[in-house]
Amino acid sequence: MGAALVALQQRQRFVHSIKVTLVWLILVAALVGGLLLIRFQPSYMLEHYNIILQGAGATLGVSMASIAIATVLALFGSIARLSSSAIAQGISGFYVSVLRGTPLLIQIFIIYLGLPQVGTQLIKFGYPTLGRLLIMDAIPAGILALSLNYGAYMTEIFRAGLQSIGYGQREAAIALGMNPWQVLRRIILPQAIRIIIPDVGNQFIAMQKDSALVSVMGVWEITYLATRYAKKDSKYMEMFILAAAAYWILTIVSSWFQNRIEKRMSRAYER
Amino acid sequence: MNAEPIIRISNLHKWFGMLHVLRDISLIVQPREVVCIIGRSGSGKSTMLRCINFLEEPSDGEIEIHGLKIPAGGKGREHNRLVHEARLMTGMVFQEFNLFPHMSVLENVTEGPIIVKGMSRTQAIQLAEEKLDNVGMLFKRDEYPTRLSGGQKQRVAIARALSMEPEVMLFDEPTSALDPELIGEVLNVMKKLAKEGTTMLVVTHEMGFAREVADRVVVMADGEIVEAEKPEELFSHPKDARTQALIDRYRTGGG
Repeated sequence: MGAALVALQQRQRFVHSIKVTLVWLILVAALVGGLLLIRFQPSYMLEHYNIILQGAGATLGVSMASIAIATVLALFGSIARLSSSAIAQGISGFYVSVLRGTPLLIQIFIIYLGLPQVGTQLIKFGYPTLGRLLIMDAIPAGILALSLNYGAYMTEIFRAGLQSIGYGQREAAIALGMNPWQVLRRIILPQAIRIIIPDVGNQFIAMQKDSALVSVMGVWEITYLATRYAKKDSKYMEMFILAAAAYWILTIVSSWFQNRIEKRMSRAYER
Repeated sequence: MNAEPIIRISNLHKWFGMLHVLRDISLIVQPREVVCIIGRSGSGKSTMLRCINFLEEPSDGEIEIHGLKIPAGGKGREHNRLVHEARLMTGMVFQEFNLFPHMSVLENVTEGPIIVKGMSRTQAIQLAEEKLDNVGMLFKRDEYPTRLSGGQKQRVAIARALSMEPEVMLFDEPTSALDPELIGEVLNVMKKLAKEGTTMLVVTHEMGFAREVADRVVVMADGEIVEAEKPEELFSHPKDARTQALIDRYRTGGG
């Protein structure tokens, strides 16, 4: 009786997954059919995939540099947010509020188009070094905008991670005679990082797609190159599907690495 | 018992906001002495212990550890230096063990000597192995804390505190978080330490342990020391009604 019930349930599950797969296939067929109706040319995609590949390098480069800087910002931001100093709390709170409260696209415009205005004035007032620093090329401007923006979100992730470590850990370390810096570096951070890492991975995956926004400044990454060729040859569907596929593949690869890192980090916690 | 005391608590007060949890506590602990502190929950016994290594900042009074006097309410660099000294001279064992879960058993015990004392790794490992052996936990040296039983965790925590070679060991209800069948192994380690001449201050609910091992038993109630006597005296002729009530409660198996 029991075995028969299990067999029935297994069969039902199998039939259900077949149905879901069928729905996927119908959707893909409808999409391809529709595309062929509008004279979609898969051959054009095959001829131009290397262009997207070039762009993927820039996308990945900008994202990796930005996530690295954002991580450093988030580390200091979260420590500042949890500190007892009014100045540190004020600065970090203001930073998080402004950068999370405004669109990334506007932040990119302010850094790329707005700051040079300030820079020009500073040069006029006799501060040429500082002034020139504010007039940035597209790539540094993009990296700065993404870093600052993601640093703000990640400050909150880091803060939650640091706070999740029980007070007993801190007390045990203090009782051993550690100073606050040693407690943070040796006891709290290593434990918090395990909690933070999956979220940083998610942020990195999200950032790869948000980095498409730096195409507005003419950085030769995936979206910019796709737009360029799409316009030139009027192959919008072909190029944007190609670009979308490139982002999707990047995400899948990143998720795989994220998984591996998480497994590695939880080794000490296996029972 | 005429040597310089290890701990001298003088007129200690502690307020948590409006709550007056320690009211004029004075207590002296001599070298090699084992003092057990008993009392109901909320009597202030843990808070008193935590004031000794400044996990709680005393509100008033003075803590003296091995001749180092630290007045309450201090601030600034000099006060922090004194507090640091006090923490180096005291080893603390917590109710919830608080082992570092990201470190192996050995690393838990070498961490203090290496990071705080700047000891070389080789030397620290040698010391840690000696301390782990002393609590019977050397066989789990490379294990991580999650794979240990509660009793084993607490024994490692004791080794961790011992690794700093403190003048006095502070135990804050070391067996209260343990399953009943695991209490014995921890108490046995503590008995062994007492026999070896370790100065110990133990906040506990284990009346049997207090009676057998303590040189003196301190009874606390409502933030005050009610009585401090040799165990045989205290358990057979309690002077205070609150001590009597406490002993009766444990005799009848109450909490």
